[in-house]
Amino acid sequence: MTKKKPELTKLGRYKITGELGRGAMGVVYKGEDPSLDRTVALKTVILSDDAAGKDEYKKRFFLEAKAAGRLSHPQVITVYDFGQEGDVAYMAMEFLKGKELRTRMKEGSISVPEAVHIAEQVAEGLGYAHEHGVVHRDIKPSNIMLLPHDKVKIMDFGIARMRASDHKTSTGLVLGTPKYMSPEQVSGSPVDHRSDIFSLGVVLYEMLTHSKLFQGEDTPQIFHAVANFQPPVPSRLNPEVPPMLDFVVERALKKDPSVRYQDAFELAADLRSALSELVDREAAASGEKQRERDTTKTMKMDADALRSALPAPTAAAIGSDTRLPVSLKFDCSDAIERLTDPTGSDRKRLTRAPRPIGIGRRLLRHRVLLAAMLAAVLVGGAIAVV
Amino acid sequence: MKPANAAANLASVVFLKIQEFARRPAQEQARLRAQLEAVVAVVTSDLRHAGWIALDAADGIAIAVLDDPEGALRLAQRSITAAAAGLPLSVGVNHGAVQVTSGGRSADGLTGDGIAVAASVAEFAASTRVLISRSFRDALAEAAPALDAGLSPAGVFTDAGLRTHELFYPDKSAAARRQRRLIAAGVAAAVVIVGVGISARIAGGGHQKVFDATMGKVGMSAKQREAWLRGVREKAGFKP
Repeated sequence: MTKKKPELTKLGRYKITGELGRGAMGVVYKGEDPSLDRTVALKTVILSDDAAGKDEYKKRFFLEAKAAGRLSHPQVITVYDFGQEGDVAYMAMEFLKGKELRTRMKEGSISVPEAVHIAEQVAEGLGYAHEHGVVHRDIKPSNIMLLPHDKVKIMDFGIARMRASDHKTSTGLVLGTPKYMSPEQVSGSPVDHRSDIFSLGVVLYEMLTHSKLFQGEDTPQIFHAVANFQPPVPSRLNPEVPPMLDFVVERALKKDPSVRYQDAFELAADLRSALSELVDREAAASGEKQRERDTTKTMKMDADALRSALPAPTAAAIGSDTRLPVSLKFDCSDAIERLTDPTGSDRKRLTRAPRPIGIGRRLLRHRVLLAAMLAAVLVGGAIAVV
Repeated sequence: MKPANAAANLASVVFLKIQEFARRPAQEQARLRAQLEAVVAVVTSDLRHAGWIALDAADGIAIAVLDDPEGALRLAQRSITAAAAGLPLSVGVNHGAVQVTSGGRSADGLTGDGIAVAASVAEFAASTRVLISRSFRDALAEAAPALDAGLSPAGVFTDAGLRTHELFYPDKSAAARRQRRLIAAGVAAAVVIVGVGISARIAGGGHQKVFDATMGKVGMSAKQREAWLRGVREKAGFKP
């Protein structure tokens, strides 16, 4: 894991033993706490050169570090300590031996139950953090660490807020990880805990579908996609995804925060239900599953197919030009063929508008009445003539 | 995404909408959706295999029934019955244009006014109610006039796009009422026709001639007719 020899040798009481990674804000080092003989991860942030900015930045960094330090949850990385060494502010955190979710996703597709289990744990951790007034603001695969025994921890608490508030572009948009930002983040609107729920929704979507949700050639395009693109439900891209998960993801990804999940615990509860459903289903079909596993095919969707897998709108949003996707649950191919390639008689029947029905045709349909009228005519005629 | 067929086809669209779907928890949404799919599987069983297309909507399922308004009405009513146990369903039925859209290589969806109006109509329907558009009623009247007699006016509704819809609902008593009205009209017409026949006869030969001919037909002699007429006059107090 160690990449190269660090420039610093010491930060506070911590001895630096290696470098773990580099980010936009600073370097993450591996360190040793000599007093406790414990390995730690030291996240550093280079403080601004501007004196006024530096004080403000430092104040915020320590405030956030304090808030993150108060969090003690199995799914949240533990912050041990924080301090400053020259122009470098640092945070000593639990050293995790695991694999980033980003790396796991690159290695190969994640099964649906595994994806749900990961997301459920992250939602639990987020729920706890939100309960303590901490919003992460930068939930993404590289901030989720997969540990042995299927455990998950969220990393980088407290740093995100600094990034968000201190790095504004000239257009007022905040820097971060655009693909995982919420619509309110990209529009520069006030952000609360529901933004983390959206970001987790994006991560879950990508795990379930094995594809990137918001894409674009540059940041403005990605921002536009985040704000406007209505993604197809995951089951359209991966048929193994059960319907309940479609609804969970759909609700987590609502553009309007007021109709999104209002609470990460609520999301976690839904994910737990989905997981138990998946586990039950898997247990019931374990034998069959084994056979299926041997013949599993890799699903590859082309761009056209992806475009066609647009989401279904609600009844209220359906207009004349709104397309409703053909349900995959029913075999309607023959009927579609009648419309796309009609035979001679079908072509006439299916395009003919109904004609208004007159009294004559109506009478023709009521045979008893028609017979009574004919009898009356005969009787009347007989009286008149005979 | 492009239209696969330039000519717009007409179909009866039955929109099955789950009420208040978006407000429900995901677990309940999944349960209701599964229930709805089961209902669709049941109610479409008596339709011709190549006669219907199921379309996904976020809060329900739309079924486009081809060339069978009678089947579409039956489907709508059976859906409500089948969904009675815990599935809050409202149904909108319309007959209108539908067009197949294709994404990539194959047809993958339907669009058109037929679907849009059915969705609007379903929005107006209360839970466990079926509402029917005017155009569907016309299509049904042509296919099965006896069935269109079973629809009563529900009123005129305006949707979010300020488009007005004259709607109807299936009403068992409406068919009986219509039947009674038709029978009454038939009896009246028969009486009029017979009356016209009698009038024509009187006009042709004078009333005494008609009276004599009629009495002759019942086998009365001239003497008996005089006596019978006298008796009738006395009873009526008529003095010639």
